[in-house]
Amino acid sequence: MNRTDSLTDLSNMTQETGFLDVVGAFKAFGESAVLKGVDLAVGRGEFVSLLGPSGCGKTTLLRMIAGLLAADRGSVRLAGTDITTLPPHRRDVGVVFQSYALFPHLTVAENVAFGLRARRAAQSEIDRTVRQFLELVHISEMADRSVRALSGGQQQRVAVARALAVQPKLLLLDEPFSALDRKLRETMQIELRRLLRELGTTAIFVTHDQDEALTMSDRIAVMNQGVIEQFADPATLYRAPATRFALDFVGLSTRIAGRVSEVSGDTLTIETPLGTVRAAGSFRPGAQVLVAVRPERVQLHNPETGPRTGETGSNQLSLRVRDLVFQGARMLVHFDSPDPMPIIAEVSDGEAMRLAPQPGMTLDFCWSPEATLLYPAQS
Amino acid sequence: MIARRLDPVALLAAPALIYLFIVYAAPIIYLLGRSIYTDAGWAFGAYTSFFADDFNWKVIGNTLRIALLVTLLCLVIGYPVALALARAKGWSQVILLAAIILPLSVGVVVKAFAWQIVLRRDGVVSQLLVGLGIWDEPQRLLFTEAGLVIGAANVFLPFMILPIYSVIRQIDPRLSEAGATLGASPWYRFTRVSLPLTLPGIVAGMAFVLSMTVSMFVIPSLLIGDRFQTLATLTGRSFLLMRNEQLGSTTAVVLLVLAVGIVVGSSLLARRLGRNT
Repeated sequence: MNRTDSLTDLSNMTQETGFLDVVGAFKAFGESAVLKGVDLAVGRGEFVSLLGPSGCGKTTLLRMIAGLLAADRGSVRLAGTDITTLPPHRRDVGVVFQSYALFPHLTVAENVAFGLRARRAAQSEIDRTVRQFLELVHISEMADRSVRALSGGQQQRVAVARALAVQPKLLLLDEPFSALDRKLRETMQIELRRLLRELGTTAIFVTHDQDEALTMSDRIAVMNQGVIEQFADPATLYRAPATRFALDFVGLSTRIAGRVSEVSGDTLTIETPLGTVRAAGSFRPGAQVLVAVRPERVQLHNPETGPRTGETGSNQLSLRVRDLVFQGARMLVHFDSPDPMPIIAEVSDGEAMRLAPQPGMTLDFCWSPEATLLYPAQS
Repeated sequence: MIARRLDPVALLAAPALIYLFIVYAAPIIYLLGRSIYTDAGWAFGAYTSFFADDFNWKVIGNTLRIALLVTLLCLVIGYPVALALARAKGWSQVILLAAIILPLSVGVVVKAFAWQIVLRRDGVVSQLLVGLGIWDEPQRLLFTEAGLVIGAANVFLPFMILPIYSVIRQIDPRLSEAGATLGASPWYRFTRVSLPLTLPGIVAGMAFVLSMTVSMFVIPSLLIGDRFQTLATLTGRSFLLMRNEQLGSTTAVVLLVLAVGIVVGSSLLARRLGRNT
């Protein structure tokens, strides 16, 4: 695929799946199963993140796709070929390691040339490709330096250039930015995303950082305890987390335990210790549920200065402010909760000045039934 | 430029330096003196006559040839062992390490006598080679150069394995994986990544074994005997049998120069490699 093709394909590439197909990947170390039958289908040119806490199996899955770890069961297909039993050097799958794993005895240019030399490319082609990729990652002036003389961010660029220079079918990145400071990380995220888009490279990115995953990915696979809990685009994942774990892991949310008291069509009435809540969903009457809402979907009103209810049909609870977290452009307002789960609203700074919330103050906490997320209560 | 003061911590080396001067440096200086001082005064006659004698050149040749062969044999056997040792985990590593280090606690004399049994005409090695069809009939390895090389390599093997192992252990295993994901075959990864990175360990191991084999005395005395002379055995004979202190001092100094040359040369080489790796 050349560059112009990859750019025009951007719009429909997420629909196309099956460039990489992992089926039933299972891996156990001793007694403990790290991957419990994972399926993952990635489209050509897609940027997919594996997001989850440490120990969820995301790095194991990555190493399995790279061929650095043999699966106990399951298969891996790449571009129509079964690569399950191929050794890593025959897979055409590039990896950017968390520790970068640059060759310390080689210069920057020699590191980038390594894969091309191993594939016996012509010297003229090696020179041209190395120059091209060093330029792409803005590190041309370091070409003849030892990699040990580089800063973390520069080493990161070399690692990316080295992996991309052989133009692998698939690029895997294992928490590549975890050692960088925040500002550099954000720059690298944007640069890497642009670079991969330009080259049309299919990539899988392992991270435990939800912001990183949300910023960069076409789709995110949320992993927990060896399974993928949800595989969706960032907006869907954030707005409609499929499972309780996905809700917890990505973003903040208010969570209140309740019981379904009435069902009329697909509108449920739920009794909670804080009041009655309405939501859309399909639960039986009497079911124990968890009610959740994202902080920015909540509107706060001061019943004393402006006694008004929310829009018609809106949920409304009267809650006492516990803490305020000022974050510059926005403010998080935490409320007293009957259990250890958080109750949070986010207001803009302008709103915060109007409301002037103080700990101990009682505010109306309003949100629409459509913004309500419902999950079965944990058994 | 700011004048450098002596770091007080450096004084901690003083006891060792004083000890080494008394038991090591002083006798060697005395030895050197004996080789160039005669009743007639200072003279280098001992050296000119030493180097004029073809027999002595043959002894130097013997010494260097045996040392190089032993070192190469140790390297060929020791390198894979060092790799395995670095890769091993838990109990298997402990057992492997013990198997390498424990033989050091058995004296060289005991080991040399054990090898005399193994290297006999009806010994294990001979029987094995006949059994494998490599030899047509049993042969004696004892009192041959081959027997000496085999025996000496056995004694000095740990000094090759341990420095290489300590270098391999510090190499990030991800480097080889990175090479694999770039399309490099296992052999390419070994020659372009692992081997260059372990060179400092190889140099250190070779320096250890070389400097010990050029000066070994007991092993050649027991495994090959008087017909085959090295600098060390010749030194021993000069002092113990021929009572020729000047010849003994001369051969000892030649041997010392060789050993010092190996140690200094290899540490310079290791520093250069260390800078590049």
